[in-house]
Amino acid sequence: MKKKSFLRKYPTFAFFLLLAVLIVLAAVFAPVVTGGVSPTEGNLTNAVMPPGKDHIFGTDKLGRDIFTRVIYGARTSLTSAFTVVAIIFSAGTLLGILAGYFGGLVDTVIMRISDMMIAFPGLVLAIAIAGILGPSVKNAIIAISLVSWTKYARLARSLVLKIRNRDFVAAAIVTGSKTPYMLWKYMLPNTITTLIITAATDIGSMMLELASLSFLGFGAKAPTPEWGLMLNEGRAYMQSAPWLMVFPGLAIFIVVVVFNMLGDSLRDILDPRDE
Amino acid sequence: MKKQMKSVLAAAMALSMTMACLTGCGQSTDKETDSAGASAGTEKVLTFGCQNYSGGSVDTAYQTSSAWNAMRYGVAESLFRFNDAMEVEPWLAESCEVSDDHKIWTIKLKDGIKFSNGEAMTASKVKASYDWLKESGPKGSSAPEKFLEYEAEITADDDAGTITIVTKKAYADLTKNLAHPVMSILDVDNIEDFDHNIIGTGPYVIESYKEDVGYTLVKNENYREEVPYDKVELYYMGDASAKAMALQNGQVDLVENITNVADIQKFQEDSDYKVDIANGVRCGFSYMNMKGILANDTLRQAVLMGIDDETICSSNLIGGLYTPGYSVLPSNLTYNYDTLKNPYAFDAEAAKALLDQAGIVDTDGNGIRELDGKDIVLHYVYYDNRLLKEFAQAQHNYLTAIGIEVDEDEVDSDTDWNMLVNGEYDLLGNNWTTVATGDPTEYLDNWYGKSNANYCGYQNDEYDKLYEQLLTELDNDTRTEIITRLQQILIDDAAVLVDGYYNSSMIASKNVAQAPIHTADYYWLSTEIKPAE
Repeated sequence: MKKKSFLRKYPTFAFFLLLAVLIVLAAVFAPVVTGGVSPTEGNLTNAVMPPGKDHIFGTDKLGRDIFTRVIYGARTSLTSAFTVVAIIFSAGTLLGILAGYFGGLVDTVIMRISDMMIAFPGLVLAIAIAGILGPSVKNAIIAISLVSWTKYARLARSLVLKIRNRDFVAAAIVTGSKTPYMLWKYMLPNTITTLIITAATDIGSMMLELASLSFLGFGAKAPTPEWGLMLNEGRAYMQSAPWLMVFPGLAIFIVVVVFNMLGDSLRDILDPRDE
Repeated sequence: MKKQMKSVLAAAMALSMTMACLTGCGQSTDKETDSAGASAGTEKVLTFGCQNYSGGSVDTAYQTSSAWNAMRYGVAESLFRFNDAMEVEPWLAESCEVSDDHKIWTIKLKDGIKFSNGEAMTASKVKASYDWLKESGPKGSSAPEKFLEYEAEITADDDAGTITIVTKKAYADLTKNLAHPVMSILDVDNIEDFDHNIIGTGPYVIESYKEDVGYTLVKNENYREEVPYDKVELYYMGDASAKAMALQNGQVDLVENITNVADIQKFQEDSDYKVDIANGVRCGFSYMNMKGILANDTLRQAVLMGIDDETICSSNLIGGLYTPGYSVLPSNLTYNYDTLKNPYAFDAEAAKALLDQAGIVDTDGNGIRELDGKDIVLHYVYYDNRLLKEFAQAQHNYLTAIGIEVDEDEVDSDTDWNMLVNGEYDLLGNNWTTVATGDPTEYLDNWYGKSNANYCGYQNDEYDKLYEQLLTELDNDTRTEIITRLQQILIDDAAVLVDGYYNSSMIASKNVAQAPIHTADYYWLSTEIKPAE
């Protein structure tokens, strides 16, 4: 009952949550949605067929069904984007809280490393890292995580600093609270809301960055169904067979918009500043 | 408030990006008017879009493709050339006489030929050019000794206008070898920059070079005939679609080899463009590295049997730009393709059975068969040229279906070559002219056990013996017999993954009167390419 009223109270959030859940479900049940068609096996005799009855999104140059590849692409995109966000969220938060709480040398070391990372444009550095590691989805995740954790670290640190010298913190220490307890019970809860909002809004942009890497050839490798890679493969056919680019492009657009709006509406709910 | 700021910022960014796009487009439009304006005026300018091989070098000793650049760009010429039937005819030479033992070649040079710097092409200049190749050849990989042995003695007679080449070994027809771009005649004494500014006898002269952009060529004032264009702007273009779009928006007037099937069909249907397609003598094939996992005979056989080449070639992916085949020599040449037998024709089930029998099975259930306890993942190196990438992807699909995984590795043509030389591949895509010297001897050297050019480590004693016989055989019928047998040996040994035989193309806009492409792929910018009236 309580849940229902919550969703009613925030209809925008509810709407985008529903869409996001639908996307996740489509990815999870991809084999069911696509009727068991393989995303990597194609029939060359059907190459570059326009959208029609047999292939509602058409086929690509290797005769693979584009609808199937778009649906399976959601798996790649969602899992990798969620992985990136999970990694940068936890690593960034942890490092930021440590830096803010302990200060001194710990703070200097962590923050100077973070400064070094943000000295470069994010995607450019990610391209360099992915280029060195070699193209694969795993390496793209590593590359983007390496350049994106700093935001969370800086945010967590500043939030911790805000309360570090407050009286209740001093009181807790004086009454004998151990350091891990301090971090877990006092520091983390004070930072987590803002960080979760940041993470939610980040899902969309991480997805875009991963797709960019794949488009440039530093991410997913053929024949993995991945939207960025599909865009790249369809590029040569932009004029003659636009459906090769339109559908993966549309998929990226829709999913990124949904997750961005979901993050935004979550912020509207959680962020006390807007009240 | 913050939100408003954000949206204002976003709007500003969107606006500035749009502006950037517009200025980008604006620049290309400027270029267009530039070239169009120039060709309308007194100066006749040809803009030509082509692929960048060998990093743009025109050094004939550096790499085979850099020697091709020299000739394709209309800068260098050689003593002989090939007609469309792949017969050799004199070019800078007037005639050639040979002794009965095929070891003394007396070549009479044409009178009045001048290098682009105005120097006369004398017999000693020709000798100097060949001597320079002897000296520089070992530093590069274009291997001039494949065409003319280093031991050959050359004497020049300037008064008679002849050079005499005395060879240790007998050549069936040396003039064919001398027609190859590597044997181009250059004024080597006066060249300072062999990489990007050579002096030849061709219709065009290098004026300037820009790394990764291209060349500006100008008319050779000393050329023996009328040169149709005053200037040629040669632009490097990475992929087929870039070439197609550049031609469409008027940035260039002429491009070579658009490999995107849909694009070429579009140009063929459009009366504003001229498409010339030649039944070429190129073979698209992948080397199989015998020093790696593909040393396993069964595996190689299964790879060949697992791939349906005919379907690939006839599909929309390749669109008939390749003729399917299983021999390393094109079926349209006179080397008895019809009599060859292919024991490894497509049969996926048989391929699987063959692997099963040999114990190459998938034991850990990941869908990939194992050999010596390791998953079979073939490292497939290719570059995006003449549909090699498309072949690799299609073949990848077929191989996955029989339990062989492929790790695709797309590189540039230069890296492709270096990886070939260093043996860093299992399969490596290439597209080669098979009868570079009007005869496949040089090409078949790739599988000769004792050759420097045997980059795949293939070894077969019968092949080596026959190849050695071919090197000295002077009778044409016997040569054809040997060549037929050599092809069959390669097929039987499953030594090469053949994609098919490529048809070259040249596509021109209406600014160009005609732009023929030749069977031999050496002659791109020639005096035959003329502006429209």
